[in-house]
Amino acid sequence: MWPYILRNLLQRLVLLFIVSVIAHGVVHLAPGEPTEVDPSNPRMKPEDIVKIRKAFHLDEPLHLQYAYWMRDLFSGELKSFKDSQPVLPKIWDRFLNSLPLFILATIIIWTLSFPTGIHAAVRRGSVYDRSTTFIAYTLISVPGFFLSYLAILWVVSVLGVPVIGMRTFGMEDALPLFRGMDRLWHLVVPSLMTALGGIAVLSRYVRSQMLEVIGQDYVRTARAKGLPEDQVIYRHALRNALLPFVTMFGFLLPGLIGGSVIFEQIFAWPGLGRLGYDAILSRDFPVILTINFIAAALTLAGTFMSDLLYAAVDPRIRLH
Amino acid sequence: MKLKTILIFAPLVVSVILVQSYFWVPSYEVQTVGNPTRVEKFINSSIGDAKILNPIIAADGASSDITTLVFEGLLDLDENLNLRGRLATEWQVTEKAYLIVVPGASFADGSAVTAITLEQRLRQAIASGLVPGLKDQLLDLRRIAAEERVQDVSLPGEKGEVQTVRVRLHLPARIQISLKEVDQDLFKKLATVIGPKYADSAPYGRWIEVEPANMREAVKPQFSQLVPVFEHNPIIEFKLRQGVRFHDGHEFDAGDVKFTYDAIMNPKNLSPRTSDFEPIKRIEISDPYTIKVVYKRLFSPAINAWMMGIIPEHLLNDAALKKEMDRRNISAELRETFAMRESEFSRNPVGVGPYQFVEWQSDEMIHLQRNEDYWEGAPQYKDYYYRIIPDKLTQEVEFRSGAVDRYSARPHQIARYKKDTRYQSFSSLGFGYTYIGYNNRLPLFKDPRLRKALGMAIDVKEIIKYILYDEAERVTGPYPKNTQWYDQSIPPLPYDPAGAIKLLNELGWKKNADGWLEKDGKLLEFNLLTNNGNPIRKAVVTIAQNAWKKIGVKCNTQLFEWAVFLQDFINPGKFDAVVLGWSLSQDPDLFQLWHSSEAGPQKLNFVGYNSPQADELIVRIRKEYNVDKQRELTHRLHRQIANDQPYTFLFAPRVTELLDKKIVMMEKDGSYSKIKPSKSGRIYYSFNKWKKLEHAPEF
Repeated sequence: MWPYILRNLLQRLVLLFIVSVIAHGVVHLAPGEPTEVDPSNPRMKPEDIVKIRKAFHLDEPLHLQYAYWMRDLFSGELKSFKDSQPVLPKIWDRFLNSLPLFILATIIIWTLSFPTGIHAAVRRGSVYDRSTTFIAYTLISVPGFFLSYLAILWVVSVLGVPVIGMRTFGMEDALPLFRGMDRLWHLVVPSLMTALGGIAVLSRYVRSQMLEVIGQDYVRTARAKGLPEDQVIYRHALRNALLPFVTMFGFLLPGLIGGSVIFEQIFAWPGLGRLGYDAILSRDFPVILTINFIAAALTLAGTFMSDLLYAAVDPRIRLH
Repeated sequence: MKLKTILIFAPLVVSVILVQSYFWVPSYEVQTVGNPTRVEKFINSSIGDAKILNPIIAADGASSDITTLVFEGLLDLDENLNLRGRLATEWQVTEKAYLIVVPGASFADGSAVTAITLEQRLRQAIASGLVPGLKDQLLDLRRIAAEERVQDVSLPGEKGEVQTVRVRLHLPARIQISLKEVDQDLFKKLATVIGPKYADSAPYGRWIEVEPANMREAVKPQFSQLVPVFEHNPIIEFKLRQGVRFHDGHEFDAGDVKFTYDAIMNPKNLSPRTSDFEPIKRIEISDPYTIKVVYKRLFSPAINAWMMGIIPEHLLNDAALKKEMDRRNISAELRETFAMRESEFSRNPVGVGPYQFVEWQSDEMIHLQRNEDYWEGAPQYKDYYYRIIPDKLTQEVEFRSGAVDRYSARPHQIARYKKDTRYQSFSSLGFGYTYIGYNNRLPLFKDPRLRKALGMAIDVKEIIKYILYDEAERVTGPYPKNTQWYDQSIPPLPYDPAGAIKLLNELGWKKNADGWLEKDGKLLEFNLLTNNGNPIRKAVVTIAQNAWKKIGVKCNTQLFEWAVFLQDFINPGKFDAVVLGWSLSQDPDLFQLWHSSEAGPQKLNFVGYNSPQADELIVRIRKEYNVDKQRELTHRLHRQIANDQPYTFLFAPRVTELLDKKIVMMEKDGSYSKIKPSKSGRIYYSFNKWKKLEHAPEF
């Protein structure tokens, strides 16, 4: 077990390094300049641009720029081109904003998918099963941003209340209860929209897992023993069907970062996804690269965790 | 089964908790439920976040939206777009001109020029009226003895680096002429005394020493600028407002104005505004409320630079920055480059404007609060919020649910919103216009008649009607249509495809068997480009292509991402024709856009327009200090460019602003009236008087 973990960690570190080098190259080779040194800005004189480029190390060869980036990143002194603020605290702040959205969306996905999926599997072929299948595929095929716009328009024209941002503006002096409820309300629509695709996919997945397990011999045995149907489904079948989902927790990890660029953009949510998107538009290299680096690190950590979890939950699997 | 119960009830409980929150949220009609202070707040929205809240560094629109509220300049524009005093109560433009006594030069009668004879003759000529129009203008005329001066000169080295060289100037004796008003033709007028070739015999070599001496050749082209025989020094004297305080209570005075200038020119601060202040020679403080700005040369737009917000010296000078570095424990290495850009001031600004800064949450909002101590009286709104909403549709949605107080409608929405009684709308012409620019350097586009023919083939009225829903106006020249610089009497190109074909036939282009125009076996064919992401420009491209096809001109079209478009096509000048737009200001100076010297790579005259007549007008305009004369010159420039047709000028879009109907203009005595935009169409001109009522008023 331990040799496996060590070897795997080492491999992943090497991989992370390679990913960061490639990402650094790609970001710098893409056309366009950081807006701060954009020569098409009529207010900038060429001398000033030369000076700013120098301050940003943009006139150095790529491998040196990579070294500067790494040095600054690990000494915590890496700064954004855009506003000269340290990158890591900036990312942390945005991460805290994205977190409630991510948690609520995850709760909605996992609480809704299981009952619908199990029910569809048990009543296979029924009207309920067919209609959930139809709805699930509709949700998978319709782009999320389109549904979001429809939902926003509906809420605004029918209910007449704000839905954008993390809270209603101008509520700072209102009673705490009003403010708390307002914040919750602002979470509802975006997290539901983020969750829709997830619900569709996960409930299909639950259904197929259940169907597979229900066809197994031990379920037939349980039924033959004369156990009540509920006990057969929820104790004998569901437990075994759950196995693959345990590992999915590992894959949730990278979703914490580029999770919902589109939804954050539509709902004006000041989260991490938007930070990355804006950074790309203004070619803010330190921010793009650091977010990319963290995302890569989390992806690698996530798959690593899945491997470990799988071994921990399923006694048939051994790591060595 | 416990598990089954959990599986069924968990989603139910989650849904109930989420749905009930809806009942606590305020709606558009009743914005004050549970939140009575909503009417004291103005909530604005913007596509992008501000970058840096220091007016001398900021270069983007969002940052300047905030800095104009927090900071204030010496001047701004009144409702007719004329200059108006803010932190300056009055200002006066005078001139000091210098004439070098050139050794070896001689007067018309053959006698040699000396300092004494030159002074005498000038004095006599002016007093007797031999030099026209100077008698009333002259304040003083005197001799100045020779002097020594040391100066640094920057030379553009290879690879764009800048090299500085020290030069020692042996300035000869000079005559100083002080005038009440700036006169760009002063030395031309004095030619009756000193002759037209006075400067030709100037021995620059004797006056200038370069260290190290081997750099002499490199500096040589600049000799005539280092010791100019004729020198104009316009001077602006500002009287400053007394008793104005920064938001932290510190009093504003002339030191802050000088400090702002020094900070902009300090290379450490990397200010993008250095070019606006570069013409300044020096700033003199006579007393705490009087400041004199002396300019190196004639450059009338320079006064507009004083609309720039004044920053507080006591918070940003070296001592203050050092204190901040100590407090934040900045490492020794970073101290080297630590300057205003790094200071916390950039995210926590302190100015003298009507609103003071409270808080900035990145990509979410900026919060300002009214300055109770504002010199013109505190504004009506208590709070100002600047929300960042990156998507136009969500902006609209927030406006309609009462969480934003203004929205600028898109062309296709304007007709609908104008009819909607829940909102008030204001329509005005902006400072921008859209055009088709031809690469004037190419032999194909060299002839203005061809460019004119291409313009005549396009029905601009149709574009305005169908693409912009009639929310635009036809333009004929390079100035914004709502400024006095624009000559309203110039007629637009007629829509006349038959005339266009006739004109092209005269130029030798004949239709071939396939219906395309051809000359010497070559088709009249070119590429029309524009940037991706602007649906209006894209539509213009399609319409132009179709219109030209009808007269037999073959045009291929392509769209590119903005960065690629600039880098690969515009900057190197590798294009045939483009659809683009300019967003200008009230400034009459169009040097960067139209002067032939600005046609190089990465310059703004990227179409390569080159007209000696226009060049002369452009230079005269930026040297003219009299507004009436300036207007006359800009009208001539407008006509010149309209005749040459380097662009096909298309349209200036109208901007429509929507406001919550509950917002009115509130007087100090409590009476209120409907919001009235200024004559140039700016509704925010009276923003400090705005106030929101609880219920929509009836007028």
